[in-house]
Amino acid sequence: MRCIRWPAQGKQAKRLCPLVTLALATLLLGLLVGCGPNKVVVQGDFPPPLIEPLPITLGVWFDDDFSKHEFFDEAKSKRDSSWVVNTGEAQVQMWSALLAGMFAQVVHLKEQPGPGRSNPDVDAVLIPHVEELQYAIPAQTNVKVYEIWMRYRFELVTTDGTPIAQWTMTSYGKTPTALLQSDQDAVNLAAVMALRDAGANFATHFTRIPAVQDWLRQKGVPVSTETP
Amino acid sequence: MRIFSLRNLLLCAGIALTSACVTSEVDQMVYNEPTAGIGDASVVILGRRHASDYETEPDFVSCVGQYVASRDKSVTVIGELEFLNALYPWFEPRTAPMHPQDIERLLEQKPVQEKLAALKVEYMIWLDGSTVRSGGSGSMACSLGGCFGFGTWTHDSNYEATIWDFTDRAEVGQVNTSATGQSYMPAVIIPIPIIAPVQGTACDGIGEQLLAFLSSKY
Repeated sequence: MRCIRWPAQGKQAKRLCPLVTLALATLLLGLLVGCGPNKVVVQGDFPPPLIEPLPITLGVWFDDDFSKHEFFDEAKSKRDSSWVVNTGEAQVQMWSALLAGMFAQVVHLKEQPGPGRSNPDVDAVLIPHVEELQYAIPAQTNVKVYEIWMRYRFELVTTDGTPIAQWTMTSYGKTPTALLQSDQDAVNLAAVMALRDAGANFATHFTRIPAVQDWLRQKGVPVSTETP
Repeated sequence: MRIFSLRNLLLCAGIALTSACVTSEVDQMVYNEPTAGIGDASVVILGRRHASDYETEPDFVSCVGQYVASRDKSVTVIGELEFLNALYPWFEPRTAPMHPQDIERLLEQKPVQEKLAALKVEYMIWLDGSTVRSGGSGSMACSLGGCFGFGTWTHDSNYEATIWDFTDRAEVGQVNTSATGQSYMPAVIIPIPIIAPVQGTACDGIGEQLLAFLSSKY
């Protein structure tokens, strides 16, 4: 690359040249980044549940689709912007904290449950899936809240992969518009609320799923059908 | 003398220009006020978040808590997030008790009962409401030379505090507050926002009534 020199030739111009190139490159990079989608890597603190643990050893399998879950929404028009919401890490963090408090023992499996796999012996294995994620920001709706909605599908299987139960569950999180809060911060907070809601929904409804109740009874675990 | 008067006049004009007017109203209904305050027990102030189109702002909940705690140091106010995390998942928007009688079913959970006893929660106060911008007018044009124009808008605050007695599992009081204020933004080269402290006024109004309920000093 040739550098255009002003009348001030010589050492000073040579010194300025790389600085100008660096400044232009930074500006170009800044413009490129500015043109990219809004990216949110969901981050939050998730407390353990205050609940009497079920006397069960539960295996958990987070597949790649779940642990690296990312939602991408492409801009529909020039006025809109694209969004990438990465919830994978936060999902693993929240579900690990929740399940550890809900069950007497939780084992994170290294292999997907199935016949002939060398997984440790557990009572059952839970496999969560994020089936759908939707978001809404005030620019898209007339309501002054940021919203995240998620639909989960859960599989409860034996270590050899035999199904015990399968069910779906929704969760919802919202956060109000506030001064000095960027769209990204607000979407992150709404996602954290949606994850907390998912945990609350799971914790209070797990023992009310008929197939889970049958399985718990077989295991000799007393089941209460009422939710506090 | 003339200089002094002029200075006073400028000061008054300055105060009048930089503060916008807020009108507020507070209604209170108390059924069973503690006669000697709440003693060494604690109170928790929580925001209602189950409505679809609004939610009680966490900073408003924090403002009311700070108002009460800062004016009577003997009243222990548990922070909202601290309480929600300590009792997760029982006070999330989906699971939070809607009536005082629901506390009974919550206390059937032994860990919940133990945690609430450890926190010494005597009163639970639910704040429900929000502050909304209700209208605006005026126009402003900005260029390299600066901004010129005038804008005005209104904020409305409406909040209701419901007090639950944990021992009696009963509602013992309600406080309503509403505040309205007009904010202005004149611009001659530089825009000068004159913001009406609507939410702050609502916070003071509701905080004052709660303090009168909870504190033996007020």
